[in-house]
Amino acid sequence: MKLSSHKRAHNRQITLEMTSMIDVVFLLLIFFIVTASFTKTERDLDAVTKVNEKSSSAAETDLEPAVVLLAEVDGSWVYQIGSNNMSTFAELQEVLDKFPNKADGAFVRAPDAAPYGMAASAIQACKNSDFPGVSYVPLTP
Amino acid sequence: MKLSKKRVRHTKGMDITPMIDIVFLLLIFFITVSQVSETNREKLELPQLKGAKDQKKTSLVVNINKAGEIVVAGNQLQLADVAFLVGKELENNGGDPGLVTVVVRIDQKATCQVPNALVKQLASQGISKVRLAVQVPN
Repeated sequence: MKLSSHKRAHNRQITLEMTSMIDVVFLLLIFFIVTASFTKTERDLDAVTKVNEKSSSAAETDLEPAVVLLAEVDGSWVYQIGSNNMSTFAELQEVLDKFPNKADGAFVRAPDAAPYGMAASAIQACKNSDFPGVSYVPLTP
Repeated sequence: MKLSKKRVRHTKGMDITPMIDIVFLLLIFFITVSQVSETNREKLELPQLKGAKDQKKTSLVVNINKAGEIVVAGNQLQLADVAFLVGKELENNGGDPGLVTVVVRIDQKATCQVPNALVKQLASQGISKVRLAVQVPN
C-alpha cells in the first residue's frame, strides 16, 4: 500500500496570486497621473540691493557706470540710460552690450510704480552683457 | 508502436509580464517627477527670462502676486511678518546674513512697490543679496 503523497506534491505548480498587487499598482499609477503637475524650470537672477544708491566700492574708471532707470515717458514705461530711451529688451541689450565701462558694474533703478517685469528684464540684460555686478536700487518717493 | 505526437499542454491565461513592466515603469516615472507638496511656491506668472544661476537650497521663499500681496508658505503676510521670519532664519544661522538665502518670486505684472519695500527691509536686516526667481522660456 502506497501511503506517501510524494508524487502528487511534486506535480503541483506554485503560482503567485498577482491580482491584488496589480490592483494596488494601478491605483497608485492613476493617483500619480491625476495629481502630477509639471512645473516649469525656474532659475535665479541674483542682484545686490543698494538702498543708498551709492556704490560702496571706488570707481575703477573715470567713465560713468551703467545706470538703467525705469521711467514713464508719455504714459508708457521705458528703459533710460543717460538721455537714451529704449522701449524693448532687445534695444536695451544692444546698448548695454556696447557700453564702454563695464568694470564698475550696472545699476538698475526702479521706482515704485514701475512694472516689475521690466526691472527683472533690465537686471537680466545687465547680466547678459557680462557686468561684474548688478545692483538693484529701489526708488521710493 | 506509438506514432502520435506528444501533445503540448497549453495553459489558458494571458502573459501579463510586459504589462506589469510598463505599469511599473510608468509608476516609477510619475513618482519621480511629481511634486507632492510645493506649498512654498505660489502659482505666479514669473518673468520669462533665462536667469543667471540655477536655484539652490533656499532658506525662505517669498512670493509676491500681481496684486502686491506677500505670500509665504501659503499664508498671506505683512512686511513685518516677513521681517520676523527673516530674523528667525538669521538666528538659526548664527546671525550671519551670508548664510541666509532669500528667493523672491514676483509676478511680472506686479509693480515694484512691494518688491522695493521688501528689498529695503531685507537690506536693513543685513541681507543685501536677493535672488529673484524667473521662469526659463521653453
